[in-house]
Amino acid sequence: MTAPTVWIPVALSSEIEAGASAGAVVDGKEVVVWRDTSGKAHAWEDRCPHRGMRMSFGFVRGDHIACLYHGWQYDTAGQCQYIPAHPDLDVPQTIKVMTYATKEANGVIWSTLSEEVPDEAIPGETDQVTALRSLYIDCPAAFVREALETASLPGFSASEEGTDFAALSDTVWTLTTGEDRLFIGVQRVNPSQTALHVMIAGPQATYAGAGQAHFSTWLETLRRSLEDGAPEKAASAPMTTAEVA
Amino acid sequence: MAAITLYDYELDEHCYRVRLLLTMLGLEWAPHAIDMVPGEEEKQPPMLALNPLGRLPVMRDGDLVLHGTEALLAYLARAYDGANTWLPKDAADFGRVMMWLNFSTLDLQPASQARVQALFGTTGVDAPLKEASRNAFRIMDDHMTKRGYEHGEWFVGEHVTLADLALFPSFALSRDFGIDHDEFPALRRWIRRFRNLENFTTMPGIPDYH
Repeated sequence: MTAPTVWIPVALSSEIEAGASAGAVVDGKEVVVWRDTSGKAHAWEDRCPHRGMRMSFGFVRGDHIACLYHGWQYDTAGQCQYIPAHPDLDVPQTIKVMTYATKEANGVIWSTLSEEVPDEAIPGETDQVTALRSLYIDCPAAFVREALETASLPGFSASEEGTDFAALSDTVWTLTTGEDRLFIGVQRVNPSQTALHVMIAGPQATYAGAGQAHFSTWLETLRRSLEDGAPEKAASAPMTTAEVA
Repeated sequence: MAAITLYDYELDEHCYRVRLLLTMLGLEWAPHAIDMVPGEEEKQPPMLALNPLGRLPVMRDGDLVLHGTEALLAYLARAYDGANTWLPKDAADFGRVMMWLNFSTLDLQPASQARVQALFGTTGVDAPLKEASRNAFRIMDDHMTKRGYEHGEWFVGEHVTLADLALFPSFALSRDFGIDHDEFPALRRWIRRFRNLENFTTMPGIPDYH
């Protein structure tokens, strides 16, 4: 069975500064997310072809990322350009890291974990977003979704009017209370762990500072209640939800 | 001979904390290498005379001999940081720094133990130690996430303090005991900042980017 190509969130844009790299795991597959010094984000297979070391342990120099083990340097196309132990070597074209389609939208870095680009755009794009945070939860995505479907998100802009959950796609959810909307990119790390990359769909003038702190505290509470409830939920609701991949 | 002697073991993260501060304060100091593993030299009579607890780090500054990481850091900051940035004078910030220093000693102890098991043990890392370490890192990451909303770059106040210095090694070394940095975006950005400070120095396990 071939899964359709979808944009999967792997980090918030603000979390990966120019010249920085980080690891991410999607369905058990390791990805390195890094940003070159010109500001372009990249997502690749997290593996140096030389010794299999995770590239995310390495470091960025200009538009190259270098492996921590032996300093092999790869350009933005994943092509190895320089091997410190053999400085005069014209590096063979076959030494290449697998690169994935990558884009940034709504303050989130997305990848397909393949070279293919999906037909459908990322839903829910808005002009103004305020970065909130990534939240890593020891809980299957299905349980997170179940909790959010009935969640009551306390409003920041006005008094509460009830909360609406919407799944715009498999990897994009929103949570809306009155004027306030959280835009949530869903990264399924593995069957028991989920990462939510959360943005506030609204201007920084409104939400920077107190608004961010308000929603971040709520997310911490959500994580705690999900993880505390996870074992009994896992026992009582095994694999009946269509969500469980 | 340098005025300050640090009885030191290269791979010990607590000794590293003191080396970091000595170096970042630009002090003249000399290490006295102690064979901690496998020699347990810190538990032999000559070292027990300096610290009856049989632990490192121990430091001598002239006639003064001190042991215990927090004490060494606080002493060095008070004695040699004329600007009082590492250990703030302001009572509230001083309290906050002490809170995180406490955290580094108590709540990061599982991380320290986990690393010792991973490096020197034969049976791997105990799961509860790893779990406790991860929980401590989460508390740190949540804190730095919120600091980001108020444009705070450090754990306390406007400047780097002993709080950052004492917390840095455990997280920077966490891959030694199998905890990756993926889940801690705010801490990743913070250690990048810390690494870029003037006179920053590495230790084995915290790579110097070549």
